[in-house]
Amino acid sequence: MTSRETTAATGGGIFHWLMQDTMDGLRRRRAVLGYLFLLPTLLGIFIFTAGPVFVSFGLSLFQWNIFKPPDFVGLENFERLLEDRRVIIGLVNTVKFTVLAVCSQVSIGLILALAVHRINRVWLRYYFRTAFFLPLLMSGASVAVFMGYIFHKEFGPLNYYLTLLGIPQIPWLTSSDLVMISIAIISAWRNMGFTFLIFLGGLSNLSQEVLDAADVDGAQGLRRLWSVTIPLLSPQILFATVTGVIGALQVFDEPYIMTRGGPGNASRTLVMVMYEHAFKHIEFGYGSAIAIVVFLMILVMAIVQMWLWRNRVFYQ
Amino acid sequence: MSAEKKMSRRDLLKLAAAGSTGLVMSGLPVRVIAQDMVTIKVQTAGLDDNTLQPVADIQMARNPNVNVEWVVLTGIDHEEVAAKILALVAAGESIDVGYAATEACQLFAGQGLAAPLDDRITSDPDQDFWTDFFSDVHPSLTEAMMYEGSLYEPPRDFNAANMYFNTNVLAENGFEVPGEEWTKDDFVEIARGTTKKDDSGNTEVFGYAWTNRLWGSWMPWIFVAGGNLYTEERAPGGEWVWDGYYEGDMAADGRGGGFRWRDPVANSSEVVEALELVVDLWQEGVTPDIAMGTGQTLTGFYATGLLCMTPAGGFWAGRLGNEGMAKGDFDVQYWPNWRNQKHQFGTGGHWLSTTSTAPDEAWDFMKIEVSHEGFQSSIFFNPVIITTPSRRSYSQKDAFESTGPANSDVFYGTLDDHPSTSPIPAPPWSNPMTTIFTTYTGFAMSGEMGPQQALDEMQAELESLTNREGRKYYQE
Repeated sequence: MTSRETTAATGGGIFHWLMQDTMDGLRRRRAVLGYLFLLPTLLGIFIFTAGPVFVSFGLSLFQWNIFKPPDFVGLENFERLLEDRRVIIGLVNTVKFTVLAVCSQVSIGLILALAVHRINRVWLRYYFRTAFFLPLLMSGASVAVFMGYIFHKEFGPLNYYLTLLGIPQIPWLTSSDLVMISIAIISAWRNMGFTFLIFLGGLSNLSQEVLDAADVDGAQGLRRLWSVTIPLLSPQILFATVTGVIGALQVFDEPYIMTRGGPGNASRTLVMVMYEHAFKHIEFGYGSAIAIVVFLMILVMAIVQMWLWRNRVFYQ
Repeated sequence: MSAEKKMSRRDLLKLAAAGSTGLVMSGLPVRVIAQDMVTIKVQTAGLDDNTLQPVADIQMARNPNVNVEWVVLTGIDHEEVAAKILALVAAGESIDVGYAATEACQLFAGQGLAAPLDDRITSDPDQDFWTDFFSDVHPSLTEAMMYEGSLYEPPRDFNAANMYFNTNVLAENGFEVPGEEWTKDDFVEIARGTTKKDDSGNTEVFGYAWTNRLWGSWMPWIFVAGGNLYTEERAPGGEWVWDGYYEGDMAADGRGGGFRWRDPVANSSEVVEALELVVDLWQEGVTPDIAMGTGQTLTGFYATGLLCMTPAGGFWAGRLGNEGMAKGDFDVQYWPNWRNQKHQFGTGGHWLSTTSTAPDEAWDFMKIEVSHEGFQSSIFFNPVIITTPSRRSYSQKDAFESTGPANSDVFYGTLDDHPSTSPIPAPPWSNPMTTIFTTYTGFAMSGEMGPQQALDEMQAELESLTNREGRKYYQE
């Protein structure tokens, strides 16, 4: 800032400094206007996202049952969760679900995108795009309710048709070994529309020069897919994986509505344990401590993924 | 469009300013009236916000300055609705009147969120109202809504776990609805006899089914086996209601100021036996895999003839009709006798919040709801019964005339004719208790643990929970 500007800013007031009829004044006005446009979003993030995160950090150091004033307990809640069998089980189940759900929704989304990309008829392409995307528009709760019926061991239509094929009834949601796989299948069905669209968009924007060069070099079929297409899609794969992992680590709707974490603890996820402690057992401090663990898990997983992919993502 | 007709930006602003002023002016009289209005927020766990509208209409007709606003909180089961009320309170929202079943009533009372009603009832100038009400409501229902000597909810409805039969499935297999004195062995015989399997061993029609929850579930078997999840004792107090309103009623003798469930006894031999019974039936294929949820999950399967027996209360009568079951297609009987015929029930009603800004108007609403007018207009009891009325006079045979079951006497008879009937274990920490109960039930019913192991681990968790939570409640 020049001395003249400083004088203007202090002596002539902020308003005069801002309204100066110079190029600098114009730039300042534009900058202020830009920040004003950003302000509602920043306020929203601060109040509804960052604020609750900070409050959760604070609450995790207290014992609070909402009826009585919070009682400061330091790190006691974190010590307790290290010994809480349900938290450990929830963590293991969540990781199991994340691996199953993300792998399937990324791989199936990619396969579907590759297939639809090859379709020449535009209307058919629109049809499949809509069909694969539709489940994503449904609420997780309603999907869980009707999938609960479809996957019902004795009365569900899925097992009905399987038995017609001579396959015995499968306890999709009532076997400890199968329940997480079933929930991952349902989650993948609902979410693959998102990864599918990301990959389809990526495929449509692949550099034609690179693909032509691959043709000239004789790269065809799987070789071309593996050595050219997939590396070129790496930014989309990274995005789909990171967002998929973030979503999967927060899984709640499907297991809560379909199995309530059962049988036993077989489908109890970390977020479900957090919900149970905070809202059902009215232990908001302990629930917040679990929320912090979920938050740190997501943060660490996102950083690890970005780091692992740092040399494998090719931006055109 | 001609140039004269174009509206300048200045004209538009003028018009907008004039319009806003007009709107503000026209709203003024409304605001003046609004200042005199008292709004009470009533939480309903009902089907929609119109469920209690008839009750609100009566109140608003009597007092036009009262406006009733609904706070609809639904959930898969009662503990979930309670959790949502707690979330609402945690978020700083207040309600004037809330709905709770036995278990949440104990929690809200124990935590001081619900107000005791003793003084409101005893000092009410209309004592005839209360004399009439209590004479029509079984004392066990009133006692289940008491906590440490005070009443927190006038009971509006209840459901005892009785056994429902699909009479068509019974008849197809040569059975009849058993008599009142039937036993556990009779039950097993009917359950096995009505189960149908296909050539590959898959069950096509199940003799018996239940869902994994606190009420219903396998809890009735625990009771008739002679067990319970917790020791059951009576709190002192409550004389004001027993001496004042139930005097001369033999069923009120020996009652106290509500129940205390202090010590877990989940792995007693009686409870183990009860769990072994239901696990055996599941392993035989008489019972399907047990899922979480309420009886609603099973309604459709029952109505289509895929189930023969299931535990349910009066709430099923209207619902089965809605599912297309005609009168006579189903019937009900008391729970079978094992070591005893002790039944379990849960009761529900509205509680008055200690944070209410209009407690008198909120109390008026609660009174109207349990009055004759309230019962006669309630959507819960009209045109068909979708939950059993707490007032005896509305639970008689004629109430079930259009839907059945033929043995509808059983519903209130569970209270009147079975003095041992008592509420489900519902300590103020019943929410985490229910999580533990359903979790270990799931372990046993999926074969992951044997009944004894599941109940030993359940007992250990309940002991730890009770040590943590129990000391906060119950005066010594």
